[in-house]
Amino acid sequence: MSKKISRKKVTEALAGYAFISPWLFIFFTFTVFSLGYAIYLSFTRYNLLKPPVWWGLEGYQRVLSDELFLTKALPNTFKYVLIVVPIQTMISLVLAFVMDQSLRFRRAFRTIFYLPSVTSSVVISLIFVWLFAPQGIFNQITHLTINWLDNPATAFYVIMGMNIFTTSGTLMLIFLSGLQDISTTIYEAAQIDGADPVQVFFRITIPLLRPVIFFVVTVGVIGCFQVFDQIFVMTSGGPLDSTTTLTYLIYKWAFRDTTIKMGQASSLAVILTLIILAVTLIQRRVIEGSGSTTQ
Amino acid sequence: MKSLLKLITVLCLAAVLLAACGAPAAPETITIKETVTIKETQIVEVPAEKTEVRLSGWASSPSETALLESLLYKFSVENPDILVKYEPITGDYKQALLTAIASGTEPDVFYNDIFWWQEFAKNDVLLPIDDLMASTGTTKDMFIPSLLDAFTFDGKTYGIPKDFNTLGMFYNKDLFDKAGLEYPTDDWTWDNLKEAATKLTDLSDANKPVYGFCTPPDPGRFPAFVFQNGGTVMNDDFSDTTLDSEAAIKAAEFYTSFRADKIGAIPSDLGEGWQGTLFGKGQCAMVYEGGWLIPYLRDQFPNTKYGVVMPPAGPAGEGNMIFTVAYGISANTKNPDAAWKVVDFLTNEASQQTVLESGFALPSRVSLQNSDYLKNNPNTAAIFNGALNGAKPFFWGAFGSDVNDQMGKGLERVFKENQPIADAMKQAADAIRQAYK
Repeated sequence: MSKKISRKKVTEALAGYAFISPWLFIFFTFTVFSLGYAIYLSFTRYNLLKPPVWWGLEGYQRVLSDELFLTKALPNTFKYVLIVVPIQTMISLVLAFVMDQSLRFRRAFRTIFYLPSVTSSVVISLIFVWLFAPQGIFNQITHLTINWLDNPATAFYVIMGMNIFTTSGTLMLIFLSGLQDISTTIYEAAQIDGADPVQVFFRITIPLLRPVIFFVVTVGVIGCFQVFDQIFVMTSGGPLDSTTTLTYLIYKWAFRDTTIKMGQASSLAVILTLIILAVTLIQRRVIEGSGSTTQ
Repeated sequence: MKSLLKLITVLCLAAVLLAACGAPAAPETITIKETVTIKETQIVEVPAEKTEVRLSGWASSPSETALLESLLYKFSVENPDILVKYEPITGDYKQALLTAIASGTEPDVFYNDIFWWQEFAKNDVLLPIDDLMASTGTTKDMFIPSLLDAFTFDGKTYGIPKDFNTLGMFYNKDLFDKAGLEYPTDDWTWDNLKEAATKLTDLSDANKPVYGFCTPPDPGRFPAFVFQNGGTVMNDDFSDTTLDSEAAIKAAEFYTSFRADKIGAIPSDLGEGWQGTLFGKGQCAMVYEGGWLIPYLRDQFPNTKYGVVMPPAGPAGEGNMIFTVAYGISANTKNPDAAWKVVDFLTNEASQQTVLESGFALPSRVSLQNSDYLKNNPNTAAIFNGALNGAKPFFWGAFGSDVNDQMGKGLERVFKENQPIADAMKQAADAIRQAYK
């Protein structure tokens, strides 16, 4: 009897694997293999022209003593995360809260706020380059004469603003679904107890949204650590390295330099992964540790 | 019956009209393209075993691609046993080429930019072509020496320059007339340049200020001034930078003085990314640019009247930069002889003549120096002759991209953060030395 069941289970499992085998094949070739190969390359010296040569930890040492990494890429990346993540989380939360009320044209507004997220980031980047050009619309409206993307003091903030603009829509959608998950009975109970809307928001909505907030912040942090395409299109890491981030530095070493440093770039990629992992773990402790909800 | 005939006539007419309508947008070059496809199909019918040669380059413009395709067609007529597969790379050429090399799938013949080709030679990616050259009687002295030298490494030749560019000084004739100045000549010096820039500057219209001479923080322009001042960017064996030498610092002082004296500007001051546009608009009266500005002005600013002369001489005489691209042959090619035939054909005198007449680039053959085309086009001739007068290749060694980055940033710091010039150059040189560690 039991033997029969197990055989059935085996065939079922086999059928399951057979069904997902196309995906598995792609997953192993393009994710597992690439990941493993990148880790291997991080211990080598590799210029793409000759086969990689084992280098041990030399690549990591070079990264950690590189001036561009220490003085620009690392601080810039953290600055980017610390500014963009809180702002985009707050904006999307507020947007979601407003969109959850019974407003006129609610659907139209939701679509409009979500639109930037479905547009290609390269296209949006080009539009922002145009908006913030010296004779661009932004300067025309504000009567300023700042060359936003060519000024080391402003370029990075324009990119940050653009990222907030594009991602808030997606995050709003996630918050919206979270908000709709909260049972109306809880709100009704609060109303009966005489809670005003502000109290309801801070005492009920926010605590019940905690898992969603954790998700949004985590996704935001990971996305921000990996910011690349906007910088590639808008500033190429300049002016004066003011927009060089870790991912842009990886690209520069791996493809742009005259002497290709694929090994060193892979070392930095591994370091970036470790940074993201560490930050995410700390975040989980902080957000889930402070009075977790059971969900 | 009659009506059927009518119908057929109408249909025929319509077909002719349609065929005619399809073509007019593009210039003559399209006609060349058509012949290519038609005749190629005829050749395919010849039942012969063909040697395949893959050729790759970047595609800078449709008309340039059409030009190359027409040359390749001529080649296919003369060499029916060789099939050239032209595979242009759009987007990031070097990145695409590097990945092809890493996976062993690079083309047999490909473009090599002067700026980075030497890394390929050092890593045995390119085939030395001296023996192949001898096999067809092509000698080194057929090419402009500074160009061929630029593709020589360790005494071996690794590529045949397909074309080149140097810097010329473009000047706006209308602005010169307005200021009552004589047009520049090839004999100008730095003093003439400064004097003219002062007189040409007109800031009375705040919306459209006119600056005498524009000085972008561009590592593709500034070194010409270093050369004119007797300096260099790198030492002889490219093991160290000389950007913090006296000659380079003095050159930087001169270069940045135009903007400091308010008789010059950097393009971003005027809201543009490239001074070529500002020259066309008449906001930069004089600029150092290459031959690429000529077709750009023809297309975008046909009403701008301009002339080109060789860059003014500095305290140490003439100085210029050479930008060039060569056809190189992969060290892994299975058919080196066929690959060489393609390269040799594309750089022979007839092909080079076609390149010159197309107006896209300058030919690398010495024999074309006295061609009628150059006699009738003094602007192009000024760019051509630049290669013969104190020009050095746009090449800074194994860490060229770092040298370029730091040179540009050094100038940017002077322009945007008012850093003292000597400090900026020292900082740039130190950062470059870091890259060598």
